[in-house]
Amino acid sequence: MWNSLASRLWRAAYLRAVSSAFATVPLYRETWALHGRTDPVLVPDRTGSNGGALAADTVQRRLVDTAPLAGGSTEPDPARGLAGLLTHATQRRSHRLVVVVDAAVTRPPTGLPSGSRGCVLHPDAATPLDDGPVLREIVDTLRRGERVLAVGEDKNLDALSAALRSAEPPTELPPPDRVPHHRIDSLTGGPFGLLHDPLLGYLGVLRDCGRWHVDCRHVYVRETTGGLAFTVLDRTSPRLVDVLVGGGVPGEVQACPRHGSPVIET
Amino acid sequence: MTVRSDTVVDARVCDPRVDGAPDGWSEFACTAGPHAVWEPELLRIEGWLTRNPPLLVTVHDTDGIVVALSALVCRPTRTPRYAPRRARRGPMWAEVAQPWLSGLPGVVRRPGVSGDHLRVAVRSAERALARRLGAGLAGLFYRGVGSDLLPELIGRGRIHRRTDPSAVLDNTFSSVDEWLASLSKSRRAGLRRQHRRAEADPALVVRGGPGRTDIDAAAVAGLLNDHRARFPTPAGDTRSPIAAPYVEAFVRRPDVHTLTYHDTDGRLLALNTLLDHHDVVVKQHWAALPPEEGGRQGLYFDAYVRAVRWCIAHGRPRISSGRGKLDVKTSLGFTPRDVHGVIAPRPVMGR
Repeated sequence: MWNSLASRLWRAAYLRAVSSAFATVPLYRETWALHGRTDPVLVPDRTGSNGGALAADTVQRRLVDTAPLAGGSTEPDPARGLAGLLTHATQRRSHRLVVVVDAAVTRPPTGLPSGSRGCVLHPDAATPLDDGPVLREIVDTLRRGERVLAVGEDKNLDALSAALRSAEPPTELPPPDRVPHHRIDSLTGGPFGLLHDPLLGYLGVLRDCGRWHVDCRHVYVRETTGGLAFTVLDRTSPRLVDVLVGGGVPGEVQACPRHGSPVIET
Repeated sequence: MTVRSDTVVDARVCDPRVDGAPDGWSEFACTAGPHAVWEPELLRIEGWLTRNPPLLVTVHDTDGIVVALSALVCRPTRTPRYAPRRARRGPMWAEVAQPWLSGLPGVVRRPGVSGDHLRVAVRSAERALARRLGAGLAGLFYRGVGSDLLPELIGRGRIHRRTDPSAVLDNTFSSVDEWLASLSKSRRAGLRRQHRRAEADPALVVRGGPGRTDIDAAAVAGLLNDHRARFPTPAGDTRSPIAAPYVEAFVRRPDVHTLTYHDTDGRLLALNTLLDHHDVVVKQHWAALPPEEGGRQGLYFDAYVRAVRWCIAHGRPRISSGRGKLDVKTSLGFTPRDVHGVIAPRPVMGR
């Protein structure tokens, strides 16, 4: 139940992330202190714009300044958060192989359940003519009768399915499970889906209630005048706080009447 | 915060991060003419993006500001964090200094203020700082104090020591050739050769001037910080890295002349800033790429030729090039000036 205590804890985690970013991360220090922000009020008498949220392309351009002063990685992980959302994204509890088919994702997802392995497949390699190791591994896993989950944009998943149908030698392979991921400006109705951003990673999931649930253990979202601003709570470097993904998409944050956890409506 | 002393002055402590410029600052700036780094807007940017933010302490009388102090609030812990938004308890000291003016004090006074008047004003500023910073303040450290200011800062219970001298060139020349003629033969020939080489190099783009708007501030800040990182940090150096927003605002000022050396691909090879001033022009930041990373030899000396030429052309009486590399600067005609550090422990602050 998304009661007031859970909501307060969620907000407290966000405020800690903001406070830490303001104290230690050059990008946010410069942006918020010199231009001000509105929520939470950190700099007296300065209001800022977009509630202090930053456009994703601005953050992308200045990734070097998203590492704290103590040092850290400046490389975003586009597959971040996928493992934690898979239980809600599919009806199966686990898969032997999780394949992310997306050009922006270059490293396999981490944190998958034991017994599951992750890999990435560039969309250009998901063709019948390609004989790359990832495609071979998918075919072999399916031939062994084990489950494969493919995650990516619809068109890429279609290309992968076509490639598997024409795999050599020709055998009747069971199709992999598929969960399409969507950008925030192109959310659809399901039945399955993940909310993805190439900079912040996986942010939410379409659950059986038909609503887009935020990954509230790892992500905070709030409404700003510039659109929905997302914060990755558990990653210290690069620090991604109040980022307007998709160029800033207007939306609302509500509590799901069925599950009680926060959902977004765009 | 206002502290009324028993004498004619008020001392006010302003945090440039959140407070506006002190009353009467624009009049004071016109009469006292502090260097560009004293501008409250620059102090605001610097304060937010530094570990030891400056406080601006001003002492007023009925004619306006008598004296202004720039006091950096320093703490013994060096955690990788920016300064907190609100003052915290705990041990600290304040350094009265301008971090980017080497060899010059963190004290600016109205012309004509000296002797007892100055002494009372400075003591009043010390009391105001002590009240503002509370019980954790261990004392004040005045850096870059010249011989003219020293008598007003020393006293019973205060410690003062001579530190590395700063280098100052008295501009008594009518032309660059006259300056060059005053130097040793080898240095003169070397300067001419370096300058000629820089002028003739088709792969070198040299631009200079005040109020530059064509500068990539991030590249400048990066070069300055990398240059500083190549040398051992001086003991007790409380300065933070220079931030790009500070550079951006700084080089746009009309009294800041920036000389840049780029290659034809647009890569910044070296830069020098010169702070214009009616009395002492400051040859301030110098940074260059090392030769192994594509930098050019001799630009350091070329920048000196250009700086001295500018000062002669504009009739500025003195150039200060700060502390360090005194042997090189002496060979360029600069003379050492005594610089002192004065410590005022908490019990004697304001006395």
